[in-house]
Amino acid sequence: MLNRSSLSILLLSLSALFIGFACDSNSGGDPSDDFDRQAMLRNYADNLIEPAYDDLKSKTGSLYTATQAFQVAPSADMLNTLRNLWLSAYTSWQYANAYNFGPAGEEGLRKGLIEEIGTFPASEPKIENAIAAGTWNLEDFNRDARGYLAIEYLIFGKGQSDDEILAAFASNPNRYDYLIALAEDIDDRVNEVLSAWNGAYRDEFVQNDGTDAGSSTSLLYNEFVRSYEAIKNFKLGLPLGKRPGQTQPEPQLVEAYYSGASLEMLEHHLTAIGYIWYGRAKNGQDGIGFREYLEKVEGGTALIAETETQLTAVVVALDAVPGAPPLAEQIAGDKTQLEALYTEFQKMTRYFKSDMSSLLGIAITFSSGDGD
Amino acid sequence: MPGQKLYIENWLIQPVSIAPLVTLRVVIGVMLLFSTLRFVALGWVDDHYITPVFHFKYFGFEWVEPLPATGLYIVHGLLIISSLCVMLGLFYRLAAIVQFLLFTYTELIDLTYYLNHYYFVSIVCGLLVLVPANRAFSLDVLRKPAISRSKISRWTIFIFQLQLGIVYFHAGIWKVNYDWLVNALPLKIWIPANDQLPLIGWIFQQKITPYLFSWAGMLYDVSIVLWLSWSRTRPWAYLTVIVFHTLTGLMFQIGVFPLVMIGATLIFFSEQWHERLWNWASDTITKPLRFRNRVADFPGFQHLENLKTQFATHRSSLITSFLVLFFLFQILFPWRYLLYPGNIFWTEEGYRFCWRVMLMEKAGTATFFVKDAKTGREGEVVNSEFLNAHQEKQMAMQPDMILQFAHFLKKHYEQRGVSNPAVRAEVYVTLNARPSKLLIDPNVDLTKIRDGWAHKTWILNDK
Repeated sequence: MLNRSSLSILLLSLSALFIGFACDSNSGGDPSDDFDRQAMLRNYADNLIEPAYDDLKSKTGSLYTATQAFQVAPSADMLNTLRNLWLSAYTSWQYANAYNFGPAGEEGLRKGLIEEIGTFPASEPKIENAIAAGTWNLEDFNRDARGYLAIEYLIFGKGQSDDEILAAFASNPNRYDYLIALAEDIDDRVNEVLSAWNGAYRDEFVQNDGTDAGSSTSLLYNEFVRSYEAIKNFKLGLPLGKRPGQTQPEPQLVEAYYSGASLEMLEHHLTAIGYIWYGRAKNGQDGIGFREYLEKVEGGTALIAETETQLTAVVVALDAVPGAPPLAEQIAGDKTQLEALYTEFQKMTRYFKSDMSSLLGIAITFSSGDGD
Repeated sequence: MPGQKLYIENWLIQPVSIAPLVTLRVVIGVMLLFSTLRFVALGWVDDHYITPVFHFKYFGFEWVEPLPATGLYIVHGLLIISSLCVMLGLFYRLAAIVQFLLFTYTELIDLTYYLNHYYFVSIVCGLLVLVPANRAFSLDVLRKPAISRSKISRWTIFIFQLQLGIVYFHAGIWKVNYDWLVNALPLKIWIPANDQLPLIGWIFQQKITPYLFSWAGMLYDVSIVLWLSWSRTRPWAYLTVIVFHTLTGLMFQIGVFPLVMIGATLIFFSEQWHERLWNWASDTITKPLRFRNRVADFPGFQHLENLKTQFATHRSSLITSFLVLFFLFQILFPWRYLLYPGNIFWTEEGYRFCWRVMLMEKAGTATFFVKDAKTGREGEVVNSEFLNAHQEKQMAMQPDMILQFAHFLKKHYEQRGVSNPAVRAEVYVTLNARPSKLLIDPNVDLTKIRDGWAHKTWILNDK
């Protein structure tokens, strides 16, 4: 008898799972506060990612055209135009550099877009050797000899005057060709990614709405975290000498070293990270993002509060860093504010890195441990 | 009570049909074959064993090292061959030993990939070595008809039923905790995350679903072996086995495990059921052969009633003592957590090898600081420089792995010229969607601590 009654409990609860809901679904009970992940992905695709690549493409296009014009009629003015176009294109890149998946992801020998066009620091010897030899391969693993930061080195120079830079170009025409090839390479790669997003990938992205490894939510989330950590570890930590084994700060490791725009770019990058968190477009239009997703899950409200308090602390710490001189110089000098900023970045990591994925149930690896 | 002992002994050596054992042999062989092929095809040999520069060791098995790439592929190749042999019953004893040793070896390489499922498969492979599962429907019988048997001692089947019982019962009993039953955690996190599943996704959107699944899961695990053992409930129970494991298989990335359980639980079916299965299979297999060769009798694939009824009692005091000790271990070891203070879900002291499956949602961020004793300079480690995503994820919430990584960092940076490095870690862990907290004392120098059975006093309280 005992067996039977336990059995009926078992069968009852199991059948409830499969039959119970069938009756419930049409009874107009309170709507589940389910989250529409497709709507979130649509917002990211249409209001953040595509516009970012769109803007980037127009900037890289102008940059490429300008490098050709520079070769035809080199002048200090043209050099300055080129520099401004580079700054503008590199600023746009900060809003597009977190989406290294799908068409911008790794494929075969090609690494993610950020590695292909955003590797820093640039290798001066590799660049000079390529120019001296007159041959280069923009598909190989020498990613520190191409991309934005290689162009930056060529047009901003390392402590050289405009005349010296122009003279370097004049003395070896390969220098122009290399510059143009680099700009074209960036433009091509960005164009390829943008075309994919304008084409079939956008729908593929929106429809892949699970939370498993390889789902769009997981891909976007992983790259979001990686991008955030890159600010902390590579744009600030490494130049500050934060790695074990480093015996002193290494200011020359900052991003955008030659232009001195490091701090400005870091600010843009952080702003872009904030936009992803909020699901906000660059024009200020707020949509459904990770923040809205968290509102719908267990423990989410508490995490949103903690995260945004810390985000404010990061912004305050960043504002406290003087706008000039350039980051590299500040690192070589008094770096109290930078150390404080680094600490605030560090405190932020756990909210983005583990708390968020845990609450959202996003799988970040392809095989799961069952201890979790 | 000698009478009692005799009764149990007699029961255990009673002759029963070999058919269920044949089924199990084939199921495990097929599963291992499939799972190993899948593992290799997904590129996991590289990702798990070859690419990482550091491997987390099992306590007591620190000596297990990954072979060089070629060696690892040979191991997986041999694993494929041996599981094929086990499935077909060819050179069975040798194949079963090889299968057990190689599978266990691959599991022991890196603690990161520990799964209760793998532990279970390892155990079943080990137990298969002890039983004569090749004495019917096997190529060994085809080779040596004299070894064929229709009956075997009951214990050779009972040990697998017992092991399955231990697994399910513990998996269920650990679900009897406040978070699981009252808060429906972690299912409240996992279920809505799966609401895009076809056909059943909408069920996962209902608020009550996590509660129902939590309770049903607990009741299922605790009692399923009872329902499977009783013939009147067996068909229904097996239906729930299929439904339960299919659901968990859809929801979680647990690979072939659902199939393993759906296959292994067949061992609870009656002798007659298995005999019908194999008699049907033997007809199917031998029909085309018979037509071609006009030979009536294929020793390897005879109907069971045509086999010799004689059977060896398979009694060996060595095997008996081993099995008694083994099952004593199986029954006691999962409860060792009672000897440790604190919340086991937080400390994970005594958490592994206990059939605690999918019980909590836990994740952490671990930041390691390496300090040069001479200069006093402290640097922050970028974990991904040494660990893959899976390793980092598992490490960041498990104290013993944190300790191992700290010791690795000490050695690594010592070689890089950091003098007498001290390593500390700031580890924030979130458990079942609660705000993250410090898991361990962030000031303790981990290089001064050795892992052991004793309670880790440097783990902080979760309250």
